[in-house]
Amino acid sequence: MSAAVSPQLELRGVTKRFGGVAAVDGVSFEVAKGDIVGIIGPNGAGKTTLLNCISGTQRLDRGDIRLNGSSIAGISPHRVAKLGIGRTFQIVKPFGSMTVRENAAIGALFGSAQARRGVAGAFALADEVLELVGLRAKADHPVSALTIPDRKRLEVARAVATRPQLLLLDEVMAGLNNVEVDDALDMVRAVHATGVTVLLIEHVMRVIVGVCRRAIVLDFGHVLAQGEPEVVLRDERVIQAYLGERYAKRLKS
Amino acid sequence: MDAFVQLVILGLLAGGVYVAVGVGFGLVWGVLNIVNLAHGALVVVGGYITWQLFTGFGLDPFLTLPLDAAALFILGYALQRGVINRIIRAPLLFTFLLTFGVNLVIVNILLLIFGSDFRSVTPAYSGQGLELGSVVIPYVRLASLGAAILLAAGLAFLLNRTRIGLAIHAISADRDAAQLVGIDLRHAYAVTYGLGAACAGIAGGLIAMIQAITPTAGEPYTLQAFVVVILGGLGRVSATVVGGLAFGLVEAFGQSIPGSGSVFANAIAFGLMVLVLVTRPQGLMGRLH
Repeated sequence: MSAAVSPQLELRGVTKRFGGVAAVDGVSFEVAKGDIVGIIGPNGAGKTTLLNCISGTQRLDRGDIRLNGSSIAGISPHRVAKLGIGRTFQIVKPFGSMTVRENAAIGALFGSAQARRGVAGAFALADEVLELVGLRAKADHPVSALTIPDRKRLEVARAVATRPQLLLLDEVMAGLNNVEVDDALDMVRAVHATGVTVLLIEHVMRVIVGVCRRAIVLDFGHVLAQGEPEVVLRDERVIQAYLGERYAKRLKS
Repeated sequence: MDAFVQLVILGLLAGGVYVAVGVGFGLVWGVLNIVNLAHGALVVVGGYITWQLFTGFGLDPFLTLPLDAAALFILGYALQRGVINRIIRAPLLFTFLLTFGVNLVIVNILLLIFGSDFRSVTPAYSGQGLELGSVVIPYVRLASLGAAILLAAGLAFLLNRTRIGLAIHAISADRDAAQLVGIDLRHAYAVTYGLGAACAGIAGGLIAMIQAITPTAGEPYTLQAFVVVILGGLGRVSATVVGGLAFGLVEAFGQSIPGSGSVFANAIAFGLMVLVLVTRPQGLMGRLH
């Protein structure tokens, strides 16, 4: 069967324009089941727009996105979630009027077909997920009492509670200090170890090298390079895109 | 002393109706951010369904309440799904215009069907009451208060303990995040408006037993709902219960002032609302964020 060999996520010439600007321009790549892939790129490279296209919050202008071989381009975000794609936001969007446990339970109540269960079951799954991301002790806290790193954890917990097969993480490490990044890396590894495919956007190089098996570099909406993180980060074009031509030359010499 | 007790009782009894009128309005406002100017018209639709079932089929008016709720839920769901969803992200003024338009349409359809005559629902027990010393409490009003409290409790249970209730909480907290955990926004919005309409329908059924209704009678109910929700505080059913009962009490005492009478009922109501907005803008029970 061809479905068995097709990659879990497949992007073909994905293009998204805002007026005259192509924020994402003909991006193609594949993510295999169980993989953990990082997307990096300078500010404005189109990373978040790309995630928005995959999760259905923005419509593609051209191209196709396939999940397990069938197209998900143009379907609404809640249906994408039900098909098994979880998503976090760079600027966290917790349900502010609820407790930590309730936030996670909402994910468990409405997520993918695997997550779907009754209210009591959802709260049980919420507790499991909070344990996984290290928020179990704060389950009864209101969201407003959480620190920034904890809010990022909650964002991940809510997405994981939807029981996704593929998890999109939008800069979960941004704004964290070194110790917090290490903790967050452990959390991402723990989530990945449960069998979830992870596609993450990061600014912090250490994260990409630390957890990703493969890195994709975006620049001005194009894929600049992809491959093993160590190799990709030594690519001259990548260094240029990040640091400018002058520094790239200096590094080379 | 007797007069005081009587006023408290009358105030609470009137407050029960305000609770019923207010809860659905508060739900729609709090979750969808729509000040639903068609709310009063929906109340009147509920009243007419009760009247029709009572006069046409001899059904006890209290037994018609679930049917009011069911019919108005369907109507509300369809209205939101088909019409109001289109402007859900539009500025508040658009929701005013649209719901006012819906209000006009409903009122005129009622006029076409039922004419402009006043109708009232008078079951056999409507004249009877409970005598406590010199105070007489009409059974219908007592049962209405009970029904209103039950309605509020049922709504609170639904919102806090059920799947769809949690979805409603989630969409009111963050639409984008709710969508991305798998909540169908258009459906959840429609259910919310449907529930608000169902509450209005029950309120209408209760009102039809207490006073005569006519298709154009809805506007005061929209205003009352507005005042009650502001008084209690937006966002929680329990706050609307407090707001409704408080409004009933204030109105009862206000009308008892010599020379006041029912003429000043609206002035008192809106005066109170202004007072609350100035001194405690989050409402009696509301929380500031």
